[in-house]
Amino acid sequence: MTRRNRALGAALGGLVAASLVATAAAALYLRERNAGEQALAEAPARSYALQLAKAVRAAGDDPTAAQAAALRVKARGERVQLAAVVVEPRSTKYRFLRKRRYLAHSDASRQRQVLDRRHAGDKAIYDLANRVRHEGSIIELHAPQDEPVEVTAAEPVRVGGKHHATAVVITRPAVPAPGTPAWPLAAGLALVALLGLAAGAATPKRYVVVAGGVVGFVLFAWWQLGKLEAFYQARAAAALTAPHPRWPLVLAAILALGIVVLGHLRLGERLATGLRRHRVAYLYATPAALGMLVLVFVPFGYGLALGFFNHAHGTYTFVGLKNFVEILSGGGRPLSHPLNFYFTLGVTVLWTGTNVLLHVAIGLALALVLKDPLLRFKGAYRVLLILPWAVPNYITALIWKGMFHHQYGAVNHVLELFGVEKISWFSHFGTAFAANLVTNTWLGFPFMMVVCLGALQSIPRDVYEAAEVDGASRWQSFWSITMPLLRPALFPAIILGTIWTFNMFNIIYLVSAGAPGGSTDILITEAYRWAFERADRYGLAAAYALIILLILMAYTLITNRMTKATEDTYS
Amino acid sequence: MRSSQTKRLLTHAVLITFTGLTLLPVALVVRKAVTPGQEFELTLNPIPSRVTLEHFRAVVGASLPDGTWLFGRQLLNSVLAAVGTTVLGVFLACTAAYAFSRFRFPGRRFGLLTFLVVQMFPATLLMIPLYVILSRLGLLSSIAGLVLVYATTAIPFCVWMLKGYFDTIPRELEEAALIDGASRLRIFYQIILPLARPAIAVTALFCFMTAWNEYILAATFLGKETSYTLPVLIKSYVGEYGSTQWGSFAAGAILVSVPVVALFYALQKNLVAGLTAGSVKG
Repeated sequence: MTRRNRALGAALGGLVAASLVATAAAALYLRERNAGEQALAEAPARSYALQLAKAVRAAGDDPTAAQAAALRVKARGERVQLAAVVVEPRSTKYRFLRKRRYLAHSDASRQRQVLDRRHAGDKAIYDLANRVRHEGSIIELHAPQDEPVEVTAAEPVRVGGKHHATAVVITRPAVPAPGTPAWPLAAGLALVALLGLAAGAATPKRYVVVAGGVVGFVLFAWWQLGKLEAFYQARAAAALTAPHPRWPLVLAAILALGIVVLGHLRLGERLATGLRRHRVAYLYATPAALGMLVLVFVPFGYGLALGFFNHAHGTYTFVGLKNFVEILSGGGRPLSHPLNFYFTLGVTVLWTGTNVLLHVAIGLALALVLKDPLLRFKGAYRVLLILPWAVPNYITALIWKGMFHHQYGAVNHVLELFGVEKISWFSHFGTAFAANLVTNTWLGFPFMMVVCLGALQSIPRDVYEAAEVDGASRWQSFWSITMPLLRPALFPAIILGTIWTFNMFNIIYLVSAGAPGGSTDILITEAYRWAFERADRYGLAAAYALIILLILMAYTLITNRMTKATEDTYS
Repeated sequence: MRSSQTKRLLTHAVLITFTGLTLLPVALVVRKAVTPGQEFELTLNPIPSRVTLEHFRAVVGASLPDGTWLFGRQLLNSVLAAVGTTVLGVFLACTAAYAFSRFRFPGRRFGLLTFLVVQMFPATLLMIPLYVILSRLGLLSSIAGLVLVYATTAIPFCVWMLKGYFDTIPRELEEAALIDGASRLRIFYQIILPLARPAIAVTALFCFMTAWNEYILAATFLGKETSYTLPVLIKSYVGEYGSTQWGSFAAGAILVSVPVVALFYALQKNLVAGLTAGSVKG
């Protein structure tokens, strides 16, 4: 080890430590800031919703009393807009009509008025009121789209003799978030830089010192951020008793351990030697590597961590392996239930298998017909037949969704010409699956056709002539010449096609949309639904994605071995 | 002789039927786009009885009550997202592809494998963490955020495509330049990059196509109508329950696909070549 290498190693170690700690500090800071803002926004909204709910309940059917209560509650908090929405009985004239009216409103002129979507905020209130009827108490921190309200909270109430659920909604105009003191972060970064430098000529002993320093810093930051949190909570109208997070301690311990191990193994120095020898190569690879680090590895790590948390209403709680257990145990649902993991897995395997089989069969058949050099217009056929590959696949999906329309769809029309009754394609598993399958077959065979055509043209003709001379039938020469020679080209194509089909999100999501009852969903659409369509269960969805990734990895590994085996046989 | 002629006729008949069936869905969409009314007509005849451009006019002319030209805005979003992804992908990948093609260094195998795996597996798997991260950074509903998401697959794709091409450039060129005293950097900029221009163009166009055609990430990450890209707009014409405007959908679908279908046909030879080199995502 030269001195130069040692110095480089030290600098490198310092840099790694510094960036790790900086990331941790920034994450910590942002997390606490979010928590603070959330507390600030959430606490009063919630408490006002409860107060108004109480007052309205007490007022019973009396609109004047309810209105007075609304104004009274408003007097306590500025810049809030309060409304109690009552759902009117069904109109006698139009049975489907149920008007929503303000029982009370902090803007007195709107009392007794019907909710009107042209009014700022009314649509958000209307939606919240509806949701409350189904879901109970709601706190919503995100601004509804295109509405000038930021925080909304709602509580269900039952009013007097009329048994119509009434929602109480609080909205408030967007207020810029209060400025956050930036000094803890700046001080933290400065300290980290110092520590990085101190990591200097690194010997194991010094690493221990540095690790101690890092632990100290993390604890310091934790303490400072605790103060920051207190600062926000003090500004919130009602202080929330959020438990002080414990994980920074764990993080600090892991960091310290990591640094000690790094120092002990002289990993920095070894890395430096490698870096110096291949300096140019690493320099060239850096931009893409950095891009991948930020865009793929960080989200991947984040997703991995997310798999161990449960998300509900904007807060995450650590649940260990519960998400994975829930998925892999089928979530307590019977095997025939569409939301059972193994049911979905079975559908996915069936989906992938049938598709790839059809793609290869159709593609190969067409390629065998088109390879004939004497065939006329073969170029034209080829150009026309790859059109499905060229069309963006979401458009394909939507076109076929239209084709399978119960009433106007072309498919049912064709069936009628043959005297078959119209089929409601998306109300049975079999037909919905078939609809997806037809769509994806249309989309997928051109790829296999092109691959087969390319491979077939590279088989020399004299091989067939020799076989013919030897008296081989066409069938025999297909199985003993064409297929084996096709395999090296077809195998990778099948692997690729399998992975594409396994993950063919757009077709499932847009054609059958999982209908009926989520039974035609495949793994990847199921994961998506857990994240974005079923109460934002990000943790469970992340765990799902991880399991899918593992399945794909296993598949790739196995097929990789098999490809190697075929290559060995035929090369 | 006679039997071979019948056979040829039969082959053509089968091929024509199959090609016709393949083209029918597209033909029906084209017919819908130029016939009045929003519902599909119950006929398989792809020739429209009456031609109108009203659907195209409605789709292109769509605007918000406050006068914002919605279609223009969404077209701009689509172009920005696709161009941004392409520039980011190609720019970051050029040098890395060169390194992977020319140098042998520790981590090369790991790097190549990672790039392959990442571009083969769908971005949908990274979608959940990306969504949470972007929402924390306030980058949801922004084209910049979408470009970052697209870049997750665009970078590895570009690296593989370009590496495949760099492999075909003879090393002798560089050796000669090295002997003449050119620096590595100079060799890269003055010899390799100009030679690779066609490959870079093809890679860029594929990147552009992929981003232009992407639906689900855009639909999930973009919340505001003014931030939609065109695929999200097209999907919005196809409602959940019977409220589908098939006419507008058909017109929009044609407007969006014609450029990429043309590009696809222009580039399909390279696509197949790239596939055999073990890259390209569907």
